[in-house]
Amino acid sequence: MNFIKITIFKLNYSVFLPLWNSRWIVLPVMTSIFIMAMIIGSVLAAPREVIEGDVQRLMYIHVPSAIISYFAFGITAVSSAIFLINGKMRWDAIARASAGVGVLLTIFVLSTGAIWGKPIWGIYWTWDARLTSTLVLLLIYCSYLLVRNLGNANDTKAARYASIVGLIGYLDIPLIHFSVDWWRTLHPQRIVFDIRPSLPTEMLIVLAIAFLAIFLLVLWLILLSATTEYLHQQIGKLSGDLEQMEN
Amino acid sequence: MDNALEFMFAGFAVFWAGLFVYLLILQQRIRSLNDQILVLRERLKGITSNDNSE
Amino acid sequence: MRTTIIVLEKDLRIAWRDKAGWLSSLIFSAILIFIYAFAFDLAGTNSEPLLPGILWTTFLFSGIITCNQSFQQESVTGTLDAMIASPISQTSIFFGKFFCNLISLSIIQFMIIVLGTIMFQVNLINIEVILAIFLGTIGFVSLVTLLSAFEYRERFRAVLLPVIELPLLIPLLLAGVQASSSALEISNTSSPWLIFLGIFSLWGFLGSILLFPLVNEK
Repeated sequence: MNFIKITIFKLNYSVFLPLWNSRWIVLPVMTSIFIMAMIIGSVLAAPREVIEGDVQRLMYIHVPSAIISYFAFGITAVSSAIFLINGKMRWDAIARASAGVGVLLTIFVLSTGAIWGKPIWGIYWTWDARLTSTLVLLLIYCSYLLVRNLGNANDTKAARYASIVGLIGYLDIPLIHFSVDWWRTLHPQRIVFDIRPSLPTEMLIVLAIAFLAIFLLVLWLILLSATTEYLHQQIGKLSGDLEQMEN
Repeated sequence: MDNALEFMFAGFAVFWAGLFVYLLILQQRIRSLNDQILVLRERLKGITSNDNSE
Repeated sequence: MRTTIIVLEKDLRIAWRDKAGWLSSLIFSAILIFIYAFAFDLAGTNSEPLLPGILWTTFLFSGIITCNQSFQQESVTGTLDAMIASPISQTSIFFGKFFCNLISLSIIQFMIIVLGTIMFQVNLINIEVILAIFLGTIGFVSLVTLLSAFEYRERFRAVLLPVIELPLLIPLLLAGVQASSSALEISNTSSPWLIFLGIFSLWGFLGSILLFPLVNEK
């Protein structure tokens, strides 16, 4: 038991802490490198898909955004749970920031999905199971942001209500997936956006790079937003303290 | 599928425009933070000058 | 247990005295059915395929309005704060509200089923349909009771609650409609919708019990 504690402490000290202290340098640099690699990869290096043509290159945004949005909303759910348990507002800041970034990603998924679908299938929206689930997810976390914005940065009541919505919303995801999936199997439909396992290796490599790029970008954006939110909270508190001093 | 190129550009444009809008929103929040700090500084000056004159 | 019954009695008594509240929910659900009949032209055409959807959307909308009322009344008169500050456990409050809402909504659903049977010449009084409605209502009422406990300023409340609640209830809506469809033999589906309804309700019920004490802290 002691050995575990010592190992964790050593890890914290030698790996996590330096990484955290250098986050404002490491993240932007890594993100820009990978985003550049993603741009070059998706537009130039990746081979042109035979059937769908160049539009298929939107896959390099669509697919990573979809997966990473679940990651972002997961951060929201976990931070919300931690906030509900210990009441520390910094967790609300993290939850709120991740929800905002998650909503942005979901908008990317839906719009690239619609734009990809139009030249291939002739229509923008096909009630495809995954797109529909993503739309429901977008609605849930838009309502999260709505509820949170009812109060200012330091409003613990709004933070609590929003946390409950954020937590329940995430736990609802598997249920949404199953129900929408079964619903769609009633109406046989075109399977549009599957990653066919027979993707050539070059495409898989670019996809992996795009995934890393968007992941790092999301981490950076969440960090920026959460820090801003946290600073808002601190300034609100200082303002309150000053008011007390003035009176 | 030649017109598909327009759609590809549209898709990428959505990505970059979305990112840009998000960054603008962040920037707006940071500027309001700055303004609030300035206000706080003024109030603090007011308090300390009051204390000094007392 | 005792305190649950006290809260339940109180709410039922308030509902009985102030009839305007639940009466307007009742009338609202009847009006909804008429609106659907006109909007989808259900007089002439074969209305059966649309019926489960009509039923469940009516349940959803009137349910949200009904469950909202008990908390809204309390926050206006300030009794909600009093209840929270009292030694009654939050869970008892939840159960009291839950059962009151369940009873109110069940009465409304019964009326809607009878109305639907008469108007659309389809026998909705079918054991599977009623089972589906019962299972779904438990999950529905528990989630909506939890979310109605949020204290909002009046002008936000009416719109905000449906905006929060409806996306979370989409699996319930899908499952309810499909389960009712296959019970009425309108469609043939192989998916276990009734079991899904049960799972959703269990999930909603447990989640609401666990989270309700955290909504309004003492």
